[in-house]
Amino acid sequence: MKRLPLSLLLLLFFIYLTWSVSIRQAVLFAVGIGMGAALSGARFGFTTGWRLLIEQRDPRGVAGQLVLLALASVFSLTLLDQYSELTAALGPPSISLLIGAFVFGLTMQIADGCGSGTLYKAGLGVPLNMGILPLFALGSFLGSVQVGDWLTLGQLQPIGLVTEFGSTQALLITLAGLALFGLAARLWVGPGRTWWDRKWLLGAIALAVLATLNLLIAGQPWGVVYGFGLWAAKIATAAGLFDPTANAFWSQSGNAQRLSEMVLMDITSITNIGILGGALWVSARAKSDSQPLTATQWAIGLLAGFLMGYSSRLAFGCNIGAMLSGISTGSIHGWIWVPLAFAGTLLGVRVRRHYKL
Amino acid sequence: MSLSKHKLQAVFWCGLLAFLVWDTTQAPPVDLRNEPPLIAAGSGRVSSGGHCAIAK
Repeated sequence: MKRLPLSLLLLLFFIYLTWSVSIRQAVLFAVGIGMGAALSGARFGFTTGWRLLIEQRDPRGVAGQLVLLALASVFSLTLLDQYSELTAALGPPSISLLIGAFVFGLTMQIADGCGSGTLYKAGLGVPLNMGILPLFALGSFLGSVQVGDWLTLGQLQPIGLVTEFGSTQALLITLAGLALFGLAARLWVGPGRTWWDRKWLLGAIALAVLATLNLLIAGQPWGVVYGFGLWAAKIATAAGLFDPTANAFWSQSGNAQRLSEMVLMDITSITNIGILGGALWVSARAKSDSQPLTATQWAIGLLAGFLMGYSSRLAFGCNIGAMLSGISTGSIHGWIWVPLAFAGTLLGVRVRRHYKL
Repeated sequence: MSLSKHKLQAVFWCGLLAFLVWDTTQAPPVDLRNEPPLIAAGSGRVSSGGHCAIAK
């Protein structure tokens, strides 16, 4: 579809949301469009950045991600200190987090996209990612159904750096941690490498601003996975396959309320829809470069997508909800997520190579 | 772009649209008099939305 009619359709949906749902949801939809355009326009792939670092010792993607994390931390931690209405992305350090992050890091390489990556590539029209999205939602739903059982294996209360140390110290600790990640990457890639790439840097700046807007407007950090699980939970409940009142997660008042409300009222869902729309808008002029897959590659990719959805609930987020939002709002679970997911990715790139994905 | 990819894209977007229409028709109407604040920061209302980091 051409950009003009597409722009009009997106505008019409924005007006519908303003008129029939709420102005906040309409604005969050616009923020989501910006996220989708930034992710797909800059091809800002968390999965690709990690893979380039491992396989080619190319640090440009990871450098872009570190800039994104640093900027988002400066903005978010300052805002969290100023406004008591805003909440951090606090997940519990737990056995579930360790296993979930590892499996997520592994499967995101096979599926060639994390939570945001799957969204924007589906919006761009990449066949595998369009196929993965419903399975990601199903996995995310099943993960949320069983996350209570996983937590019985062992968990701590969520730890927030702002609560523990105050915003200034939380920011200093966060920036020091990011510098350590950068140092580790420098040791791995060796001297003489190009670190900065205009595309990655522009993407990082745009996403940091948009993630901050999400926090400012919605009152909570950017997330992806919750919305997917909610969509599948709604379908399963309507089909009589699932009783939310008998489930530890979905019987909680907030989750039960969102199950009964229109999905367009949900914060994560509306930015997810916006990301799809923004990527579709970019795809009107983007060159398609996806290769046809064999039946085996499809099967492996779809299975990886399902496991990615399931493990992201166990890990309390994906690269966005746990890594970006967790770290930038001072949650310890984000710092635990990164090394575990990276360990999974080390295995994932080998599986990816084996199946020639 | 191949035709099959176009078809897959059409199925994907039609599926998403169908889900949203179905959800909108079966959910209770939105209480427009109880809108959330446009900007949560400074509104005095703590966000209570769902997020992937929440354990329950």
